[in-house]
Amino acid sequence: MNNLQTDNAPSIAVVKPHFIFGGVSFFVSTLLMVLADTRLLGPYFDGKIIAITHIAVLGWATMIIFGALYQLIPIVFETALFSETLAKVNFWIFAISISLLSYSFWVDAFLTLLLYASIMLLISLLMFITNVLMTHKKSTKKNIQARFIITAIYWLLLTVILGTLIAFNFSYNFFNELHLHYLKIHAHAGLVGWFLLLIIGISSTLVPMFFISHNLKEKKIKYAYYLINLGLVGLMLDWFVYSANKLAYFNWLIISVGIILFLSYSWDAYKQRLRKVLDTGMNQTVISLLLLIAPIGIAILLLFEFNIEQNFLFRATTLYGFTIIFGFITSLILGQTYKTLPFIIWLEKYKKHVGKMKTPMPKDLYSETLAKFQMYFYIAAIVILSLALLLNQPLLITIGSYILLASAIVYNINLFKIVLHKTKLEKLK
Amino acid sequence: MKTSEEINNHIYEILKTVMDPEVELNIVDLGLIYNIDFDGEKNVDIDMTLSTPACPLGDAIVLNVQESIKIDYPDFVVNVNLVFEPLWTAALISDEGKVKLGM
Repeated sequence: MNNLQTDNAPSIAVVKPHFIFGGVSFFVSTLLMVLADTRLLGPYFDGKIIAITHIAVLGWATMIIFGALYQLIPIVFETALFSETLAKVNFWIFAISISLLSYSFWVDAFLTLLLYASIMLLISLLMFITNVLMTHKKSTKKNIQARFIITAIYWLLLTVILGTLIAFNFSYNFFNELHLHYLKIHAHAGLVGWFLLLIIGISSTLVPMFFISHNLKEKKIKYAYYLINLGLVGLMLDWFVYSANKLAYFNWLIISVGIILFLSYSWDAYKQRLRKVLDTGMNQTVISLLLLIAPIGIAILLLFEFNIEQNFLFRATTLYGFTIIFGFITSLILGQTYKTLPFIIWLEKYKKHVGKMKTPMPKDLYSETLAKFQMYFYIAAIVILSLALLLNQPLLITIGSYILLASAIVYNINLFKIVLHKTKLEKLK
Repeated sequence: MKTSEEINNHIYEILKTVMDPEVELNIVDLGLIYNIDFDGEKNVDIDMTLSTPACPLGDAIVLNVQESIKIDYPDFVVNVNLVFEPLWTAALISDEGKVKLGM
C-alpha cells in the first residue's frame, strides 16, 4: 500500500550486535587508557596508544557506524540490503580481527600476530564493501548522501590497505620512508576520508531530521564533499608521490573550508530547529560538532611547528588524534546512540502492537538521567585529558582517564538497558 | 446513528491519540493529517504526511492510524495515502501543539 522505506529495513539481528560490540569496545578503550596511564604523555607511536586508537576507531566507532549503515543504507539507497547473511558473517570476522589486531599492538606482537590480524581485517572489510556496493548497484536513487557513503568506504579501503602494508613492512621492510610517514597517510585517509566524509554524509540527513529543520542549503554539503576530497587527494599526492609537505598548507585550508561549510549547514539546522530544548542525545551531537573545530586549530601547530620542542609536538599530535577520535567522533556516536538505537529496538518490539495496545515511547527505553551523567563525565574527561596533554600533567591524565571510564560505564548501562528491553504492554484505556 | 460529519470529526479525535514517537506530539496537532474523507459507507481515505520523507518510523505511524480507527470502527476500511506535496513544515503545527512543544 505505502512505499515506505522501513519495508526495506534489515532484521534487528544484523544491527544489534554492532551496537553491543561497539559499546563494549568503548568501555575497553577507556579501561586501557587507565592502564596505559602516563604512557599517553609519551610519543604517540607507542604500542599501547596504537592499541587504544584501533579499539576506538574500529571496535567502537566503525563497528557502530557499520550497524547504523545497515539500518540507514536502505533508507538512503531506497532498496534492501544486498545480503543480511553476509552482514552477519562479516560482523564476526570483523569483531575477531579487531580484537586480535588491538591485542597484538598492546603486547607489541608486531612481527607475528599482527600480520594475521591485519589480513583478516582486510578480508572483513572487502566483505563489507561488496555488500554496500552490491546494494548500491540495485539502487536507482543517486543522491549526495549516497555519494558520501560510497566515497567514504573507498577511503576506508585505502586506509586498511595502507594499514596492512605498514603491518607487513614491520616484517619485510619494503618501504622507502619512515613508518611515521605512512602512519600519517594511513591516519588521514581513515580520520578524514572515512570518518569525516561518512559522518557529514549521514548527518546531512539525520541532523535536520532530529532538529526538525527544513529547507537547508544542500549546496553547502555538496561543496564540502568536493573540497574535502580534493584536499585529501592533494594530501595523498603530496605525501605519497612527492614525500614532501609542499602543499600541506593549501590542503589544510581547503579541507578546513569544507569542514566549516558542513558546520555552517549544521548551524542552519540548529537555528531553525523546532524543539528549542534539546535532549542529551542532541546536546552531545552539538558538542561533537563544536569539538570538530579543535583539530583544525591543532593542525596549524603541527604544520608550522613554530620551533616547539619535540616532546610537545608528540603530545600535540596525540591531542590532535584524541580530539578527533575521543572528541568529535565519540561524542557524536554517544549522542546519536540515544537518537537511533531506542527507535530501532522500539520498532522491533512494538511495531505490531501500535494502535492495539498502550506501548512505551522510544525514549522510555533508556534513562535520560543516566545519559546526562554520562554526558557530564564525558565533558569533564575531555577537558581534563586535553589539558593534561597540553600541560604534560601525569596526575590529570590519571584523573581524566578514570572519568572517561566512568562515562563509558554509564553509557554501557544505558546501552544494555535498551538492547535488553523487555516488551511492556498495557491495555488501551 | 452518527452522521458522516460526526464520524469524520470523531476520526480526528481518535487520531489525536496517535503520537509521533520522535517528536512526542500527536499527529493531528503536529499537522501531519492533511485530509480525512469518510464516504458515508465504510471507507475512510486519509491523506497524511510525515515530518520527513525518510522517516524510519513512518509505517509504525501509519499502522497506528489504521489500528486506532479500527478499535471504534472494526469493519471500516482505512486507506492511508502518504503525500509529500505540500511538504510538511513547522507552520502546520497547531497552536496547542506549539504550546506542548514549548515553541
